[in-house]
Amino acid sequence: MTAPLLSVRDLRVDLKTRIGTLHAVRGISFDVARGETLCIVGESGCGKSMTSLALMDLLPRVAKRSASGLTFDGQDMMRPRVAEKLRGRRMAMIFQEPMTALNPAFTIGDQMVEAYLFHVGGSRAAAVDRAAQMLEKVGIGSARSRLGQYPHQLSGGLRQRVMIAMALMTEPELLIADEPTTALDVTIQAQILRLLKDLQRELGLAIIFITHDLGLVSRIADRVVVMYAGAVVEEGSAAEIFEAPAHPYTCALIDCIPQPGKTERGAHLGTIPGVVPSLIGRQEGCAFRDRCALSEAVCARPVPVRGHGSHHWACIREVAA
Amino acid sequence: MTIAISKPSRLLRNPSLVVGLAIIAAMLFVAIFAPLLAPHDPYMQDITRRAVPPVWYEKGTWDNILGTDQLGRDYLSRLIYGARVSLLIGFSVVAISGVIGTTLGLLAGYFGGRVDTFVTFIVTVRLAMPVILVALAVVALFGGSIWVVIAVLGLLKWDRFAVVVRSTTQQIRALDYIASARTAGASTAWVLLREVLPNIAPQLIVIATIEVASAILMEAALSFLGLGVQPPLPSWGLMISEAKSYMFFSFWLIAIPGTALATLVFAINLAGDGLRDLITPERS
Amino acid sequence: MLIYILKRLGLALIVALTVSVIAFALLRASGDIATALAGEGATPESIAVIRQTYGLDRPIPVQYLSWLWDVARGDFGQSYFFRTDVAGLIFGKIGNTLILGAASLAIALALSIPLGVLAAIYSGSIIDRAVTMFSLMGQALPSFFLALALIMVFAINLRMFPASGADSWRNFVLPALTLGYYITPPFMRLVRAGMIDALNTDYVRTARAKGLPARRVVFKHALRNALVPVVGLVAVQLGLLMGGSVVVESIFALDGLGYLAYQSISYRDFPVLQGVVLLLSLAYVVLTLLSDIINAWLDPRLRAA
Repeated sequence: MTAPLLSVRDLRVDLKTRIGTLHAVRGISFDVARGETLCIVGESGCGKSMTSLALMDLLPRVAKRSASGLTFDGQDMMRPRVAEKLRGRRMAMIFQEPMTALNPAFTIGDQMVEAYLFHVGGSRAAAVDRAAQMLEKVGIGSARSRLGQYPHQLSGGLRQRVMIAMALMTEPELLIADEPTTALDVTIQAQILRLLKDLQRELGLAIIFITHDLGLVSRIADRVVVMYAGAVVEEGSAAEIFEAPAHPYTCALIDCIPQPGKTERGAHLGTIPGVVPSLIGRQEGCAFRDRCALSEAVCARPVPVRGHGSHHWACIREVAA
Repeated sequence: MTIAISKPSRLLRNPSLVVGLAIIAAMLFVAIFAPLLAPHDPYMQDITRRAVPPVWYEKGTWDNILGTDQLGRDYLSRLIYGARVSLLIGFSVVAISGVIGTTLGLLAGYFGGRVDTFVTFIVTVRLAMPVILVALAVVALFGGSIWVVIAVLGLLKWDRFAVVVRSTTQQIRALDYIASARTAGASTAWVLLREVLPNIAPQLIVIATIEVASAILMEAALSFLGLGVQPPLPSWGLMISEAKSYMFFSFWLIAIPGTALATLVFAINLAGDGLRDLITPERS
Repeated sequence: MLIYILKRLGLALIVALTVSVIAFALLRASGDIATALAGEGATPESIAVIRQTYGLDRPIPVQYLSWLWDVARGDFGQSYFFRTDVAGLIFGKIGNTLILGAASLAIALALSIPLGVLAAIYSGSIIDRAVTMFSLMGQALPSFFLALALIMVFAINLRMFPASGADSWRNFVLPALTLGYYITPPFMRLVRAGMIDALNTDYVRTARAKGLPARRVVFKHALRNALVPVVGLVAVQLGLLMGGSVVVESIFALDGLGYLAYQSISYRDFPVLQGVVLLLSLAYVVLTLLSDIINAWLDPRLRAA
């Protein structure tokens, strides 16, 4: 097996707040291989967006990251300025809100070429040519004239395509997509997902796809990381997660997915009762135990990590009931 | 939107507000009890003791701690009585301008439509007029007195109240409880005074502090130019103006009222800043 | 865009006309013009002659319209004190005020943009607090007190710059410093607030994610958007600048519009005051109009509207 493109070991993100330190990410580890799609799944507030920002070293100033290991193609990204040099060139990111992610004051073309000129160099004309090429690649017609337009002249779906094209200008090896389709309607969502899949095949791109929507995950993931309250509760291949979920939280989430044929129209989808525990201060034992139907007294004690092969989960149980 | 006011722990963690309020309180105390605190009569001239320097100079005496002015009047006593003029003018001007501006802003924000267009128009016209020139002209026409200064500044400086109250009222008007109060048959006046006004009070207090500071500075400028408070009343602006010709020999005659003025205005603005922090909803 | 400009132009015109009514009323309120023009000790007969010559016996609305027509042609009437025409008087002085205003504005922007950006980048830190304190102190220091202190230090003690007059650029240094410092705080606050907002936007995060250097992110992506409201403030601050120039010009005896206005008030020379007030108001109206158009141009979203 070749070395992973991205390797994350014991990554933590802490935020100082007035009422104490908030541990948004609590020591998570995972690998991403070249060309694969890793989905990070969890409810809002579970730390998945913080994880993605920590990888890019884009955390807000109040947040501090730490890790025992964070390497991209063998380079130690915890060393100062390493992530800064890699981002926008070998690793790129797209965001949830295409409506606000582009600067209203500059044209699409200007925003697309500026990072390319900075990282790759060359003439402006060559960069503009490449931008037009990339717009065509993401399915935007009359690319040349689009380059002269401002963000407000484009629809949300088009803007997200522009974001993708812009992210791929420098042929990055890793694309981090933080809920890229959440703000879009369902048809556009499907188009964007297909586009990402196609581009991945064509460019050998590794993708970290962050979402709360397990339905999306089942359509695009090679491997899945399930996060809850800042920690990884289960990790495995898409098949393992969907066919043999082991952690009660994953089971509960999967119950929430409507399945064509299986779920009756208007049927009540499974919802998980209770709320996510506070992320301030330390957490003893399983963080999910208050909402878990199977919890026992022993769940308040440190939780073992079980598993075999590529499939791991953090629960006292060998297999979910 | 939750507005957290008057939680003691947050108040103490807001040093701007505490320091600002402390200085204002001290100045208010001095102004109110001026007759008891002033060591001398502020109007008593003594030709034999003109421009005695403050006590920290070699020729200074403890009898006149801040020295005497060019007419031999005790400078500390004049400074203490000057605080009265500044504070009286600051608060009275804002009482007038606050009522005018808030009324206009409430009406424009609540009724919208033509009322809003009309108020916006008046505000624009008002902003187009150079305040200090108009104030100077009016004082020149009607003569300088503390009441004329209060009236003219109060009638001119309501624009900020109107602008802020208008936009805040627009936001509040859209909220559910206003709509429910209206459908419940509450009269317009009742809704404006009992539902809208209390909700814009925090913003009003912040603007009021800024405006008090600005009115005090404006009065000082008018008096400095000789078209504000008239002698022998001790206004800090006037004291600086009177000392101008002596500044080469006795700069402290200017420095003392200047520092007092700057300190008071600084304290008010500091408190205003602290208040703004206090009422701004915390970002998560 | 064109419709927007036309609408704004219409509003500006109505505001300008209203201001002209107020300026006209100001002069009428100051007393009988014919008596003032005739000078002290004039006989009732000569006053009556003047009243007829200047058309002061006509109904007020007619007088207003004929006055407005005169103003539109650049005739602002006669000065009681200087015994010359007001327009000539004003245009002889306006240059000094424009130089002073431009220099003060340049100083204010040169101070407030870097300081505001710095405070925003390090918001909440010691640097931010220091900048905020500087701005609060700037607001608290009366301009005339600062002016006198500058005269004391740089004109009297160090003899670096003259304390009065308008003969060379050296005469403008102290007044421009005073006035520039006086208008710096509002600009600094606006730049700081705008930059804090801009730095928290998604597009700035995008720019950082693209791997652009911090300098480029701050100065291209954030500052451009943060400066949009500053353009508007430049126009609004003109009023403050002119108000300040009355005080500053009279302290430094700088022979400009502000000094002229101050003199006209002292001498009760109301036609001159009326001219200055009218001119400043019109300047405000024109500048806000321009700034709205520039804003629309800076913000492409408004261009379409």
